[in-house]
Amino acid sequence: MQNFFQILVSGISVGMIYGVIAFGYQLTFSTSKTLNFGQGEALTLGALVGLTAVNFLIGVSLGNLWAYLIALPVVFAFGMLQGTVVEWLGVRQAIRTKSEAGWIMATIALGIIFKNMAEHIWGKDPIKFPSPVSENPLTIFGVNVRLMEIIIVLGALAMMLGVELFNRRSIYGKAVVATANDRDAAGLMGINTSQVITFSYGLSSLSAALAGVLIAPITLTGANMGAALGLKAFAVAIIGGLSSGLGVVVGGLILGITESLTGFYFDTGYKDVPGLILLLLVLSFKPAGLFGKTAIKKV
Amino acid sequence: MLEIKNLVAGYGKVKVLHAISISVPKGQLVTLIGSNGAGKTTTLRAISGMIAPEAGEITLNGENITGKSSHDITRLGLAHSPEGRRVFGTLSVTDNLLLGAFPRLTGKRPKGDVEADVQKMFDLFPRLRERREQLAGTLSGGEQQMLAMGRALMLQPEVLLLDEPSMGLAPKLVEEVFSIIRRLKEAKTTMLLVEQFAAAALEVADFGYVLENGKLAGSGPADKLKNDPAVRAAYLGHGS
Repeated sequence: MQNFFQILVSGISVGMIYGVIAFGYQLTFSTSKTLNFGQGEALTLGALVGLTAVNFLIGVSLGNLWAYLIALPVVFAFGMLQGTVVEWLGVRQAIRTKSEAGWIMATIALGIIFKNMAEHIWGKDPIKFPSPVSENPLTIFGVNVRLMEIIIVLGALAMMLGVELFNRRSIYGKAVVATANDRDAAGLMGINTSQVITFSYGLSSLSAALAGVLIAPITLTGANMGAALGLKAFAVAIIGGLSSGLGVVVGGLILGITESLTGFYFDTGYKDVPGLILLLLVLSFKPAGLFGKTAIKKV
Repeated sequence: MLEIKNLVAGYGKVKVLHAISISVPKGQLVTLIGSNGAGKTTTLRAISGMIAPEAGEITLNGENITGKSSHDITRLGLAHSPEGRRVFGTLSVTDNLLLGAFPRLTGKRPKGDVEADVQKMFDLFPRLRERREQLAGTLSGGEQQMLAMGRALMLQPEVLLLDEPSMGLAPKLVEEVFSIIRRLKEAKTTMLLVEQFAAAALEVADFGYVLENGKLAGSGPADKLKNDPAVRAAYLGHGS
């Protein structure tokens, strides 16, 4: 039983990471019906920029925690900028010409370019990310929990709650929701919907960058860290539903936990299988996701 | 106020409008009538920038707005209550109204008292007050129409475009919509009204245009058009 709870803890923290990245997919999908297939690379770059910033700040004799906290806004700003670039170069034109698939290739291509840049700047070998908090686990009811795992859960929830509050409370947030509802009608309200879409891309990459600096201290940082995460988070977004805010948290937890359990009780080599089977099942029986509303495509 | 000269517009290669000219003077209610597919909605969509005109010139208060994006045109004071209402279904009634005032709340138009205007809309459309916290998607068709009109009015527009406000509504609600239009007219709101119910539209309007297959087939003061035998035969259901 002890083992089971131990596995659950690591499953939950990884699941929340998937959830945040998937949340990023939702952000752009809701406003533009497109998404950034380079989301994993946005995570990589966020983590690596964070690494450089944290190391620099530690270099000027700041403590690990302070260095981490001060680096966060830098990572966020970088994420916003990176997402904006992706939208400008890869998506805007496709939306304008109503291209069905142009953005898919463009965002994949940009992802590859970003990954190559990361390899060039930070090298190909994984690097240790200085942990902002003690790496000695706490023991809660006999289960070892690392402080960073708790921070992951809290950080992920804070991100999603923050966006939700922005959408509900501020007029700019409402403009984003309006654009997601009906882009033409939002334009008639005087809302510059292309700007809203650019912003949602920025926010989407920011989510990925946050996921990057949240997971980096418990794994390793490197140019290849994001690819698998981005893909699995895509599965989570499909499982949870691209239109349902709650869905990605549940979807992330389902995937994170089944992965960890399979890895422990069955075989690490198969740990991706249950999640992918679930993905196939969802696609067959509930294509809008477990929590998504079924979209009827009007022809 | 709003001048449309030789407007040509359509969708891709399909031309819908062939050089039509319409004038909406300040403080007047002008109506555009015509059968289904005549191009009424397309005209409004081209004016508000939802589609780009192919030729012609549209000016608002003397400023050329041809080919501008819809958000820029809205910020210049043109409100468009579109066909099919197009309310924001996942937002509350109040939020829908606030979004109508988006240019005012974000400094693109004089702000005034937005909160007071929301209350004014609730006075104009009492049903909306009862439902202010409800999501717009859960409203009935009539209520959504009221909301779409209220939302457009929240801009405090110089010109209001109304596209088929009576569409799909029960006769009693149609009457209610027209009585509101009449009140807006009394308040000197400049309006361009597109309607299938030609008789009702000509009843409230100052001036009317008849659109047929993307061309103007006639125009004149509303009470004159109302009695025009050709118009009566074609649109007012008094065929001889």
